[in-house]
Amino acid sequence: MSVKVAEEWLNICGGCEVSILDIGEPLLDILPKLEFVHMPVLMDHKYFGQKGEGTELTIPEADIGIVSGGVRNEKEKHVLEEMRKKTKILISLGSCASFGGIPAMANMYTLDALYDKVYRDSVTTDLADTPAENLPPLLDRVYALDEIITVDVHIPGCPPNPDMIVDALTALLEGKPFELPERSVCDDCPVKREKKAAGGQIKRPLEEMQFDQGGPWENTRCFMEQGYLCLGPVTRSGCGRVYEEGGPKVPRCVVGYMPCRGCFGPIRKGASPLVDMMGALSSIGLDAKQVVDRRALLNRYIGGQKRLRPLPQRPAR
Amino acid sequence: MDKMNEFEPKILTFCCNWCSYAGADLAGTSRLQYPPNVRIIRVMCSGMVHPNMVIEALTKGADGVMICGCHPGDCHYLEGNLKAEKRAEAIELLLEDFGLEPERFRLVWVSASEGPRFAQVMTEMVETVRELGPSPYAT
Repeated sequence: MSVKVAEEWLNICGGCEVSILDIGEPLLDILPKLEFVHMPVLMDHKYFGQKGEGTELTIPEADIGIVSGGVRNEKEKHVLEEMRKKTKILISLGSCASFGGIPAMANMYTLDALYDKVYRDSVTTDLADTPAENLPPLLDRVYALDEIITVDVHIPGCPPNPDMIVDALTALLEGKPFELPERSVCDDCPVKREKKAAGGQIKRPLEEMQFDQGGPWENTRCFMEQGYLCLGPVTRSGCGRVYEEGGPKVPRCVVGYMPCRGCFGPIRKGASPLVDMMGALSSIGLDAKQVVDRRALLNRYIGGQKRLRPLPQRPAR
Repeated sequence: MDKMNEFEPKILTFCCNWCSYAGADLAGTSRLQYPPNVRIIRVMCSGMVHPNMVIEALTKGADGVMICGCHPGDCHYLEGNLKAEKRAEAIELLLEDFGLEPERFRLVWVSASEGPRFAQVMTEMVETVRELGPSPYAT
């Protein structure tokens, strides 16, 4: 008997769904075991019945639920709660679902400040009230899924690693638990480390980075040691794939000779990459003051779960 | 009495084992008076206090945090306190990122013989934080 799967996308770009397609050949092995009962990206399946005859939002029952995207408005919250009710195992797919993702950078501002910036004070926009009819109201901030319901399996990544989706689905089909490794991206990174701190200036990634394109990885030196800000030390491993037969596992940004951007989120639940990274930078002798826009940069994908919030107002003194 | 006067700040202090903790001990054995708002945690070296400890304290209930270490040149581990000084720079940046007043954190050098200085520094810190009011993250 095949396993029923319901998939839902919330506040998202659609990249996580492309990741599912990107699984490639292994997808052919898994597909016969799966039956998709609900998937807005692929199927025409309406929430209120096909002719709109229903009065309540309904999603069919399923064994596995996959939800991508964070929660930005009331409709998404409603859909998510319905997904939780109707599915036995719920997977949060991608960084938006797991940590809030890029849209959660908006959590640095209050909802009112956002409306002002985008709709009310913008020079190119005619002043208008926020529409209240036929549009779901926005929530006060962007939420990760686990702030609203319980999530059984997290698959982070922006976009997620297709290999990890296969591993998670295979584990679930066989009834085994799926756990993320508590290791950093550096543990998977094949570049050469000389264990000598670079010291001094922090450089921007497009400035004269030294690497041996196409050559063996021992010829490329750790980006951090070269003085570029790489989020590898404070980011969970898992994005690495083996790109050539017999070759090493290479993290996905590093394979393109770019430093890690931190999309897999904190290594451990409750860790703060911002604080850890600033500590690490000062320990190895880089000048932490030179990190541009550090709050947003070091929380780029993980602004949900209260990691980014409007700064507390200081009382007048 | 209004609410502001009732506020008693909680100050967390990391003291290094070799100088500052001994300094605090001296303040105690000399029966010097200083406010009871200070909670001391003994660490082997001020250089082992990472920014995440300070930020975690400030966001989970402490109103002020101090790191006390040996004077530069006196460190039992030669340059642990210099490391602490580097980390303090990062901590100051982080206070800004978390919207906390810079006065809520201080790094001071207290040697084993400076009992009176320890008591004085603690008194100053408690007064400063009392004026600032509770941490915005206080629960």
